[in-house]
Order: sequence, then C-alpha cells, then structure tokens
Amino acid sequence: ADMRSRAEVDATLQTAKLNPAELLPAVQCISFGPQAGSGECCLLQLEPGLCADLEAGRSLVIRGEKDEHAVLCSKDKTYDMKIADTSNMLLFIPDCKTPEELNADPASCNIIHSQIAGFSKNYWELRRCRPKLKKLRKLLMEDPYEGPDSQKDQTSTFSKYTTEDLLSLIQASEEEILHQLQVIDACKIEGYWRILDFDYEMKLLNHVTQLIDSESWPLSKVPLSVCLEELGSLEPREMIEHILLSYGRKYVDDGEVFFDMHEDKICRAIAQMLLQNAVKFNLSEFEEVWQQSVPEGMTTRLDQLQGLALVDKSSRPETIFLLKVEDLPEDNQERFNSLFGIRQKWTEVDITPYIQDLCAEKQTVGALLTKYARSSMLNGVKVYNSRRPIS
Amino acid sequence: SAGTGALAQWVLVELQGEVEPRQSGDLAGRLLGDLHYTCEGVPVLIVGHHILYGKVVQLEKPFAVLVKQGGAPQPSPTEPHSHYTVTALIKTKLLFKTRPKPIITHVPKKV
Repeated sequence: ADMRSRAEVDATLQTAKLNPAELLPAVQCISFGPQAGSGECCLLQLEPGLCADLEAGRSLVIRGEKDEHAVLCSKDKTYDMKIADTSNMLLFIPDCKTPEELNADPASCNIIHSQIAGFSKNYWELRRCRPKLKKLRKLLMEDPYEGPDSQKDQTSTFSKYTTEDLLSLIQASEEEILHQLQVIDACKIEGYWRILDFDYEMKLLNHVTQLIDSESWPLSKVPLSVCLEELGSLEPREMIEHILLSYGRKYVDDGEVFFDMHEDKICRAIAQMLLQNAVKFNLSEFEEVWQQSVPEGMTTRLDQLQGLALVDKSSRPETIFLLKVEDLPEDNQERFNSLFGIRQKWTEVDITPYIQDLCAEKQTVGALLTKYARSSMLNGVKVYNSRRPIS
Repeated sequence: SAGTGALAQWVLVELQGEVEPRQSGDLAGRLLGDLHYTCEGVPVLIVGHHILYGKVVQLEKPFAVLVKQGGAPQPSPTEPHSHYTVTALIKTKLLFKTRPKPIITHVPKKV
C-alpha cells in the first residue's frame, strides 16, 4: 500500500476546510495493519489492581474446562469473564500518539504512519467472584488417606493431585487454593495433597485426646515432643503433628513447641462422628451422649455445630440431624433450592450458617435473603421461604 | 501471562458504527484516515468524506490486549487450556462520538 504524502494530507485538509494553523503540525495517517482483521487479538477490561499486577510482571491465568465458564485468576483473586458488546468499533493502535506526546517531541516529523493492530466490537469484562473451590474437596475426596496400614494406597488407581494439578483443575487463584487446602485440613503426603478419611482422622484425634487426659495436660499447653514420643509407635510422626495442627494452634514457649487445642473444633468433630451413624437423633439424648464423649474439661454447645447439623424444633421430641454445608451446591440459586427442599421455612439464625459462604465481597446474608427468598411471619417470628414453588 | 520486559502502551480509538472499505476486499493495508489534533488537543479524524471530532479519555478501567498463542481459527478465552499473552496495555482512548460532518467535495455550480 502506498503511503500518504504530506502533500496529500494538506490537500485533504484544504478540501475539509480545516485551518492548519489551528492544528498541531504532526498528522498520523492510520491504516489497517496486515493482521488487523485476523481476530487474534482481543480486549480484556481490567479491574482495579490487575493493571498494576501486569505492569509488575505478574501473570494472569484463564482457567476452565469445557463444561465450565471461564474465570480469570490473578495471584490471589478470581473473576468471572463475560463478553460486553458495544455498538461501537474499537480499534487498537500501537503507535498512536496523544497530543501531549506530540508536544513533548518537537523534533517529530510532521507525518507519522501508524497501523491498526486489531479491532473489535466487544471486549471481556471481569467481575470479582467467589473462587470455585467445591471441586477441590471433591477431587481430594476421591481417595481419602486412610493411614499407612491401609491396603488401598498401594493398589490405588485413583488420581492423586499435586499443587500443580490442582492449579490447572480448580477455577481459583493460587492463594485461594492454598488457603482452602489449609481450611479443609489437607496435608501433603509424598508430594500429593490428601484429605484424611474421617474415621482415620478420629482415630488420630482420639490418640491425642487420650494422651492429654492421661498426662493431665492443660488443653492450652500440649507439648509436641511428648506427643511424638508417646504416639510415634502407633502412627507416623507427620500424622501426629498434622492432627495437632488441625485441631490446635501451634506456638513456641521457651524454645519448645506446644499446641493450644481448639475445644470447639474437637467437640464438633465428635458430634459429627456421633451424628453420621443415623438419619436423626433425639436431641436431648444426643446432647447427653455428646457431652459424655468429649474429653475431660470440654463443654459441648449446640452453636459449635453451625453448618454441620440442624435442630428440628417442630418435631416432638426435638431432633437433630447431620447437614454439612460443604455437601450443598455451590451455585447460589441451587443452594437455596436445596435448602428449601430440606425445610420449607427457615429463620435467619438457622439458615445463616448455610449461606454465609455465598456472600460476595461486601455482600451480607440479609442481601442474599432479599434476593433469593421471600419473608413472612410465623408465630411472631420472621421466616424465609422459597420465591418459587418447590416441586 | 505477561511477556518479558515492560508492557507496551497502546491507544484505543472508538468509532461509532461500522468501518467499511469503500471498495470491496478486506481491510488489511487500507487507510482509515488522517488523525490531527487541534492546538487545544482535540482529536480530529478525517475518514473518507467525513470529519469526526472526538476527545482524549483516560480510561478508568484500562484494557489488556490479549493475543492468542498457537494459531487457532476462532480464538476465544473460553477455550480450555488456551494460552494468551498480554501484548500491551491501553490506558487512553480517543472517543469519536459526534456525528460525522460530511466533507462536500463537489458543489454543483448554479447555472
């Protein structure tokens, strides 16, 4: 393509009746570059912080399998991607100069040839979203670790997942994934992330609580070294330390490592162990057995079971049953459908532990209820039910 | 992921409607038009027989320009395991929203 000359530009200005004296001396003749129409470039609108990430040399990754909507992940955040259509044409030009840039370079020649690298009528919009972490637990639950004596591991044909595997399969940022692994008490065994089989986990916990009892240690000061010494013949040292880390807070006192045990978490685990054996329990019977089952010095309370079990106050006698929030759907609408299928009317107190994790940044449980439920009064108490008929 | 070295800064030009070549054929190599700025910094774009007046806008939300690696016919960020390189950032756009002023090149003479 022949390039325009200054003379041609000036002729056009004259025809257009524009006064060159009112214009900056430099003109930019813009043409379509050779690859402009190829569609290989696309535009991604950046949320705050992402531009700085890119300029600092950090990566952004797009993740998603064929059956998943794509998400974009920075080091620590996850975003849904959506196409935004404009009715306008967006041209992207690498060497286009702004008036400031032209003024800053007075020696620049009065004709510049710029090429359009690409154009588009749409761009990708980002919206911060909750990381999609339910799949993480699902993958690790394919093959829970049952201990070194288990026959399963030797003959296991199930997939085991390294950090890299998880990064490529889970639609979340690296930090969000690593944080969730900590939350679910996963541990690395031979380079693979594993979740403990619940029975094995309870076996380990039981070793520790029995030792605490026989040694009469305060729950806030359980020494690591003695645990490893006394229990090392029963279980691998890494597993003993892992169970202490899962159910306690590690600290150092006078050069020695201790654990401040989480009473609530231990009581909760024991409740799960009791509740998983039947569809539901007589509440008062359960409360009695539960208190008797926990270590000496610990006090059970129903609020320890938020998101784990639900009390049915309408039945006579009152009952309690296992309902784990992590077993419920991840999608907002599906979660609410599932909850309203279990119980038609919920009080805010009862439903909150089962929807708390759905809250987006700065979103409240109240806002979720307004959006997905309908409220009414029942016996003087505000209750929530489904907006739609449940089949 | 970002390439090595500092990211290039490109500029976005936003025009109303479609851009079509006067003759048939694809756009590659074709001239779009002449871009001038007034002394006050107002962008003036002459496209074909039209004059467009615009303004320089600093984008509240900058854009990243993604280029797909490995030629596939219809690239889209929703394809699994696609690799995109951030080629450039766009923080500035020239927005041409005003109705184009036609350039009258041939005024019939009165007889």
